[in-house]
Amino acid sequence: MSDLDAYRQEARAFLEGMAPRYARAARRGNSVEQDLALGREYMAAKHDAGFAGINWPVELGGQGLTHLHKITFDAEEMQFGMPVQFFGISLGMPVPILMHYCEDKAFVKERVVKALRGEEIWCQMFSEPSGGSDLAALRTRVETDGNGWKMNGQKIWTSWAQYCDYGVIVTRSDPTVEKHKGLTYFWIDMRAKGVEVRPIKLAGGDSHVNEVFFDDVRIEDSQRLGAVGGGFGVSLHTLMIERYIATDSAGFGPHLDEFVSLAREVELNGQPALRDGRVRSAIARNHAMRAGLDSITKRAFLMMQAGMQPGPEGSLQKLVAVRSRQKLSELAMDLQGNAGLAFDPHAFVKTDWGTSWLNAPTGRIAGGSDEVLLNTIAEKILGLPQDHRPDKGVPFNQIPA
Amino acid sequence: MSILYDEGQQAIATESRRVLDARMSKDRLLTLLEQVGEHDRPFWDTAVEQGWTALAIPEEHGGLGLGLTELGLVAQACGAATAGAPFLTFGYGAARALIEGGDAELAARWLPALASGEALGTVAFAEGNSALPPTPTVVFAEGRLHGTKPAVPGAIKADLAVTWADRGGEPVLVLAELAGAGRNPISSYDNSRLYADLEFSGTPATVLAEGAAARSLALDVLARMAVVTAHEQVGAAEALLHIARDYAVTRKAFGQQIGAFQSIKHRIAEMYGLVEIARANCIHAAASEGGENFIVAAADARISATEAYDTNARDCVQIHGGIGVTWELGLHLHMRRARSLAVETGSLYFWEDLLVSRLAGEGA
Repeated sequence: MSDLDAYRQEARAFLEGMAPRYARAARRGNSVEQDLALGREYMAAKHDAGFAGINWPVELGGQGLTHLHKITFDAEEMQFGMPVQFFGISLGMPVPILMHYCEDKAFVKERVVKALRGEEIWCQMFSEPSGGSDLAALRTRVETDGNGWKMNGQKIWTSWAQYCDYGVIVTRSDPTVEKHKGLTYFWIDMRAKGVEVRPIKLAGGDSHVNEVFFDDVRIEDSQRLGAVGGGFGVSLHTLMIERYIATDSAGFGPHLDEFVSLAREVELNGQPALRDGRVRSAIARNHAMRAGLDSITKRAFLMMQAGMQPGPEGSLQKLVAVRSRQKLSELAMDLQGNAGLAFDPHAFVKTDWGTSWLNAPTGRIAGGSDEVLLNTIAEKILGLPQDHRPDKGVPFNQIPA
Repeated sequence: MSILYDEGQQAIATESRRVLDARMSKDRLLTLLEQVGEHDRPFWDTAVEQGWTALAIPEEHGGLGLGLTELGLVAQACGAATAGAPFLTFGYGAARALIEGGDAELAARWLPALASGEALGTVAFAEGNSALPPTPTVVFAEGRLHGTKPAVPGAIKADLAVTWADRGGEPVLVLAELAGAGRNPISSYDNSRLYADLEFSGTPATVLAEGAAARSLALDVLARMAVVTAHEQVGAAEALLHIARDYAVTRKAFGQQIGAFQSIKHRIAEMYGLVEIARANCIHAAASEGGENFIVAAADARISATEAYDTNARDCVQIHGGIGVTWELGLHLHMRRARSLAVETGSLYFWEDLLVSRLAGEGA
C-alpha cells in the first residue's frame, strides 16, 4: 500500500469518527450561527488530530506533508458534508498569501494556527461593483497617510465577511498608470474603524456574501503584501494557489446516482421514468461527461505523484460540471412534477434538487464565470487572440467610464 | 482505472502520427470517396508494415501481444488523418472473437493470418439500428448461415466475418469464411469503409460461442471495437480542434482575427472540452480491458467520443464559413467519417441504453 493509500485510510477513519457529531445528518436544521459554531468545533478537532494545514510548513503550524496528501484528505472529507464551508476561502487563499508575503513570521504563525482551528476566519476582497471578471477595473483607492495608508471604497460578493476577523484586499494606489499597474495588496483587520459589512441576500435565500464599505480606513504599511504597484501580481498568485483542488464532477450538486434513484421511483407515462428514452439519454450523457472529468482528476493526481505538472484540461472541471448540474437539476424537478414544488431553503445542495437548481447560477459565476473560463481556455491553452480591449495601454483615470 | 502512458506507449503514439503525416494524401482520400469497392491501400500497406494489424494479437498467434491502449493510440493517429480502413477495428474484433471463442483450431488457422495482414477480418453483428439485435434475422442451422447482414464494414474485401446469428431462438456467434457468401456493395457517403450487404445462403460457418456465452462474448467484442473507434474519434476531433484554431488565428474579418470574437473562440474552447473529456474516457476504458467495469467505461468513451467528433466536425466547418464546405478543402472527409464511425460500432442510442442498463442494474 502506498503512503497515500495509507493516509487515505487514516483520514477516512478520522472522518468516520467525527461524522456522528459533525457530518451532514447532524447538521440538519442548524441555523447558520449554530452551523458556524459546530464548524469551529470541528476545525479544532481536525487540528488536534493533525489533519489541518496538511501541506503547510511545520514552522508555521502546518503538517509539512505534500499537496497530494491535502487533496487526498479533502476528497474524503467532501463526501461527509462537514461544516467547513466557512473556512474554505480563508484557508484556501488569504492565509496562504499571508504566509507567503508577510514578513512578521511570529504574527503569521499565530494567525495560521487560529485560522486552522476555526477561531479566526479570513476573507478575500477582490470583486467590486465596477469589476468582477475585470478585476483590474477596481476602484477602491488607497492614499498615503503619514507612514501608512488610508482606504476608501467598496467591495462586493465577499464570502462570509460578516464572520471574518481579517481579510486580504487589492486596492488602487495609483490611478495615473495603466489599470493593472496601479494596484497594491494589503491584509486588513475587518474590525477596524471605518469597515462596514452588509450581507446580501441571494436568490436561494441565504446571505453568505456581503458588501464591504470602507470609510477612511487606516492601514499600516506593514500590512502591505508585495510591492506598491505590485497588487495585480499578488492577486494572480492568490488565484493560482488553489489550482489543483479536490474537485467534484457533480458540480457540487447531487450525485448522478440520486437522479437514477429518482427516475426509478417516479413514473412517466405509466412506467418507471427510468425506462423513458429521454431520461436514459440524460443519465447516459451525464455519466459519460462526469466519468471523463473523474478520469481527468485521477490522471492529474497520478501526474502530481510522478512529480509532473498536470495537464491544462483540469481547467474544464468547474465549467463543465456546474453547467451540467444546473440542467440535471431542472430535469430532476421535471421528473418530480408538482411534488417537487415544495422547497426547503435550508436543504443541502448535494441532496436536494430544488436547492441545487436555485444555487447553481452562483457556481457558474463565482470563482470565474463560464465566459471567463472559456476565454482562459481559448487564450491560455489554445493560443487564440484576446478580445478587443479598448482600455489597453490607457492610464486608469483616462478610461471612459 | 486510469493510467499515464509509459514510454513505449508514447513512442507508439508519436511514431504512428509521424508515419501517417508523411504518407497520407488528402487527394487520394477525396478520390476514394467517389469509388465503390476501394479502400486506401497505401494506408493498409502501412498498417501491415508497421505491425498495427499484429499489435493486439497474442504472441503465440503471431502478434505483438500488446493491448487496447496501444491499438487505441494507433487508432487515434489514424482518426486525426481520416486514415484507416475498417479492418483496423473490425479485424481486431474478429481476432478477439477467435481468441476468446472456443475453437483452438480456428484460432490457430486465422489469427496469424490476421496478424500478418494476409487475411482481412470483419464483424457482422448489426442489423439496422440495432448493434447487437436481441433476435438476429440471420439464422444459423446445421452448420450453415442464412439471411442478410446489411452494410457490414469491410465486407467488400473481407475474407472472414464473425457473425451474430440466431439458432432456434438462442444467439450464436459463428465464424464464416466469405468465399462463398454473396456481397452486395453499398454506394455510401464514406466509400472506403467498404460496406456491403453480406448475403448468406447456406454459407458454412463454425460456432465460436453459443447462448449466454455468445451474448457476453459479442458484447465484449463490440465494446472493444467501440473503444478503438472512440480513440479514432478523439484523434479526429482533436485534429478538427487544431484546424479550427489555426483558421481562427489566420482568417480576418472586421479588421481582426476571427478567433478574437467570442462566438468563435468560445466555440473552439468548447471543442477542446469535448476532446479532453472523451480522451480521458478513452484512456480509462482502454486501461480497463478485461475488468469488471469495462462495459461501462467503454460506453462512456464511446458516447463522449461520438459527441466530440460529431460536434467538432459540425463546428469546424461552421467556423470556416464558405470555404469549409468545398470539396477541395476536404473538411467533408471528417464530416463523413464522423458519421460512419458514429454508426459502425453502435450508435448513441445503443450505447446510452446499454450504459443505463448497467448503471441501473437491469438484466442483460
